[in-house]
Amino acid sequence: MKIPVVKNVLDANNRIAAENQALFAAHQVYTINLISSPGAGKTTLIEKTIAALRTDYRIGVIEGDIQDTCDAERIAKLGVPVVQITTGGACHIDSSMVREALATFDLAALDFLIIENVGNLVCPAEFSLGEHAKVAMLSVPEGDDKPAKYPLIFHVSSVLLINKIDLMPYVSFDRERACSDARKNNPQLLLFEISCKTNAGMDGWYAWLRTQIASIRQ
Amino acid sequence: MHEQSLVQALLDLIEEYAGRYGAKKICRVRLSCGRVSGIEPACLRFAFAVQSQGTVADGAHLELDLLPVRIYCFACEQEIQDEAYHAVCPRCRGSAVVLVGGTEELKLIDMDAE
Ligand SMILES: Nc1nc2c(ncn2[C@@H]2O[C@H](COP(=O)(O)OP(=O)(O)O)[C@@H](O)[C@H]2O)c(=O)[nH]1
Ligand SMILES: [Mg+2]
Ligand SMILES: [Zn+2]
Repeated sequence: MKIPVVKNVLDANNRIAAENQALFAAHQVYTINLISSPGAGKTTLIEKTIAALRTDYRIGVIEGDIQDTCDAERIAKLGVPVVQITTGGACHIDSSMVREALATFDLAALDFLIIENVGNLVCPAEFSLGEHAKVAMLSVPEGDDKPAKYPLIFHVSSVLLINKIDLMPYVSFDRERACSDARKNNPQLLLFEISCKTNAGMDGWYAWLRTQIASIRQ
Repeated sequence: MHEQSLVQALLDLIEEYAGRYGAKKICRVRLSCGRVSGIEPACLRFAFAVQSQGTVADGAHLELDLLPVRIYCFACEQEIQDEAYHAVCPRCRGSAVVLVGGTEELKLIDMDAE
């Protein structure tokens, strides 16, 4: 007997993501899903972004990690609400983990939620969490070949942050190539070249976030 | 690595449909996904062999249709298929291309029950 199905295997994940999305919409919480390789600078970016935007917006953070809680502790020091998701070995966060984490937040008291995904350029791309935007981050020392090698993450992201541009003089990184390859995966991809160390380019990122946060408010 | 999560979701879907059709044993499962969907076929097969043990799909044969990479080349003014993604046009080697296919996520197409 043949049994026809024709269903996405991740439909269950996508359904819960849609519920999360409805929660974000109901509470007007702009949410980003930050994805990069380990060490690209996600946690540093979150720290900087909190410092720059906290006077205007109420910010919360979900930290995804395979086991330890260092990143969550770094964020907690800043005095913003943060929840740690320990994936217990999984290389990505899924929508049900986020749903659980959301239960511990007072969403009515948030304007902006940042989810730091597990350090990995491949797996998180497939798991929608209900976020408004996926933000991919690539750091200069990782090399300019990543957009050609891992097209999916650039394909599904709204923004690409190229971080650690302060290191440009020390490593061979062809920014033209990285940017043009990334756009081949997604012509709508918005690019910011930044340094979390020198703050170069960060104003553009903050300005974009302000526009996005404002855009979902009535 | 995420193949483990995908296989768990797949097995849930298989159980659901096997139950719906009153099937006791599934002997063949047909899947499809794009070549640049982030899935490693070997990892998927291994995870399936391990995780399907004791389920309705224990020992089932896994068929995976890999959908080709497709790019649109602005120089050739057409869509072109390729086995892998190289960020250049396989026909003219030009760089004015956009990825238009091959990122399709994993789908369960159909399955055979005994
Ligand atoms: N030179 C330089 N180092 C950076 C920059 N941003 C982050 N780092 C460093 O990169 C390392 C990893 O950063 P972290 O934020 O923990 O990365 P994560 O694993 O993606 O969260 C830390 O030592 C940071 O201080 C940058 O723009 N320039
Ligand atoms: Mg981190
Ligand atoms: Zn061509």
